[in-house]
Amino acid sequence: MVDVCIIGSGAGGSPIAYELANAGFEVVVLEKGKNYTEKDFNKDELAVSRRDMFTPPLDEQKHIINEHNDDGTFTRYDGAESGWNFWNGSMVGGSSNLMSGYFHRLKPNDFKLKSVYGAIEGANVIDWAISYEELEPYYDKVEKVVGVSGKIVKHKHLEPRSSADFPYPELATNAVTKWFDAACKELHFKSIPTPRAVLSQNALSRNACYYSNFCGSYGCASGAKGSARAALLQKCSAKIITDAFVYKLESDEKKITRVYYYTKHGVRHSVRAKIFVLAAQAIESSRLLLNSKNKYFSKGMANSSGQVGKNLIFSGGGSGSGRFVFEKLTQTQQTELMEVGVFFNRSLQDWYEYTEKDKAQKGGTIDFLFEHQNIIPRVMKEVYDEEGHLLWGEALAKKVQKMLTTSRVLTFEVFNDWLPTDKCFVAVDEKVKDKYGVPVGVINLYGHLKDLEVGEHLAKKAVKVLQKLGCEEIDYSISSAPPPNLVAGGCRFGNDPKTSVLDKNCKAHDLENLYVTDASFMPTGGSVPYTWTIYANSFRVADVIKKHLGAFVS
Amino acid sequence: MTFSRRNFLKAGFLSSAVFLMDGCNLFGVTTPIETIRILENDLFPQANKLHIKTAPYMEIILHHSRISKADKTFIKNGVKWLNEEAIALHHKSYVKLAHKERQEVLNAVAKTEWGESFIYNIMSYMFEAMLGDPIYGGNNKEAGWKWLAFTGGEPRPKKAFL
Repeated sequence: MVDVCIIGSGAGGSPIAYELANAGFEVVVLEKGKNYTEKDFNKDELAVSRRDMFTPPLDEQKHIINEHNDDGTFTRYDGAESGWNFWNGSMVGGSSNLMSGYFHRLKPNDFKLKSVYGAIEGANVIDWAISYEELEPYYDKVEKVVGVSGKIVKHKHLEPRSSADFPYPELATNAVTKWFDAACKELHFKSIPTPRAVLSQNALSRNACYYSNFCGSYGCASGAKGSARAALLQKCSAKIITDAFVYKLESDEKKITRVYYYTKHGVRHSVRAKIFVLAAQAIESSRLLLNSKNKYFSKGMANSSGQVGKNLIFSGGGSGSGRFVFEKLTQTQQTELMEVGVFFNRSLQDWYEYTEKDKAQKGGTIDFLFEHQNIIPRVMKEVYDEEGHLLWGEALAKKVQKMLTTSRVLTFEVFNDWLPTDKCFVAVDEKVKDKYGVPVGVINLYGHLKDLEVGEHLAKKAVKVLQKLGCEEIDYSISSAPPPNLVAGGCRFGNDPKTSVLDKNCKAHDLENLYVTDASFMPTGGSVPYTWTIYANSFRVADVIKKHLGAFVS
Repeated sequence: MTFSRRNFLKAGFLSSAVFLMDGCNLFGVTTPIETIRILENDLFPQANKLHIKTAPYMEIILHHSRISKADKTFIKNGVKWLNEEAIALHHKSYVKLAHKERQEVLNAVAKTEWGESFIYNIMSYMFEAMLGDPIYGGNNKEAGWKWLAFTGGEPRPKKAFL
């Protein structure tokens, strides 16, 4: 029997592995995917972005998606038939290998959304079981252990910090950020350098960023990106078993006794441990619990509350863009615009909270970045003319060459709360099985109307910046389309075992030795990408587990 | 991976016969590779000007483990339907038409739901060949990238992902 068995090697599981293994405990990590290292990562657009090499083939493993309609019905989509892919990165380190690493902390008010902003009809908003102050030391720890580059700029929604600034200086940026900063100043907006989980200098036994021009969606070949693998798993002695798909947890009345997994060849194995940590990413963690019914837990493991899978959230918001065109720029500006490799790295948080109808409203974050450099979608974007008809031949060639060589698109992403509701949750489909013969997860999707209102409010601010910059073709889309890589909830934490799955330390109320440390615990998501908070919370829980294991020892 | 003539002769669907129907009657026989080669040149002649051969890449796509059966079937059906539209309009298979007639066929099918999807799909695979890493056999000496002043990311792949 090992001390700790962790299911999932991503941002939720790896801090536990790192802390516990380095404290001398025997740790086993079960990872469904393969192991890739810096030597394996390259910038093959066809493999990574067109053929989805890091996620399972949908005809082998898929989800069923039920999209809520306005009339109360659901439209059912088969993930394989529709191509609707909710996998994010089945590999050692999980999808943190593929993140862009835009790192923002939650703000203190994100931990008490209901108390500060009040209840919202049709949404299950609650306060968190912990405060910002309790998590702050762990946000700080992530900055130092995983590595965050940036520069603190004072602004009205800057969260309290125990360190004056980031441990690593800002990454290099394109000169257009100066135009951006000037535009924001004119608009009385506060431009913030976007903190990144990417090392700007050699540190932590890892190489600095080499500005490959292909960061998000791609594995990092230098180790600069603070993936769970590069930053944590490679620096501890935890035993990682790859190609291990965990399909069932076994328990007695009080404890998980064993986990079962299949190898890629379908051979069944099991692991016994004193403590089990589940971190398979929100949807799959709920799916595993729901698929692990037994005589003690007839509704699924740790599910006496009936809350497992409930209150699934994503990141609300959407994205937009505007195009800089050479015709409006000097020759120097044209050269500056087309410099690739260096980042844009600018954010706005002026409206993280705003007032509407004399009432404080929770807003969000806007990140600005250049359009992804993948060339095939940039070309395919040009195959329609202004009337929406397909273009081909010489006309298309002229358009493609002009657009790609004499203009560049600046995009923005809006992050606001995806309110938790009764209509957005994870279930399992007993009739539809994956290649292992295990019931697949069912993702029930619903976005609250309030999410769209907030997203619109923020997008209109971003548009003002693009207009001030002189961009053309300004457009945006705010919708309830769920970003699969920004998913949380399903096992919310809380102090009441009747209304929450986990206690404040992310231990299952129902079981003495089961922790869930991916984003499942989050009752609300804040208005930023989740990875930093997942890392921080997992480091926090690691301290709890150390004490828990210490009690075993004593 | 590169494509030799021998690989072509070994290949499956692209060099196999497609029977073209004129209503209920057998009109003729063609091979998909013939149609795709002419079609891709009609859609984006710039590739040929850059000495990039994009049609052979379809062999990768039609055998790729990550392309669904439905998508592969759609490509095969599209080749057949395009030819049948050519026969309906001009009584010849697509490859036997003059350039102007082929454009008429393309304009006609682009107005249909299947035709728009088919042309879009063929163009996306064609641009994959033209602008993907040269290791996949297209993008000859990075000519596609150079044409668009694009620099591929480093490190580059050492083998194709199939």
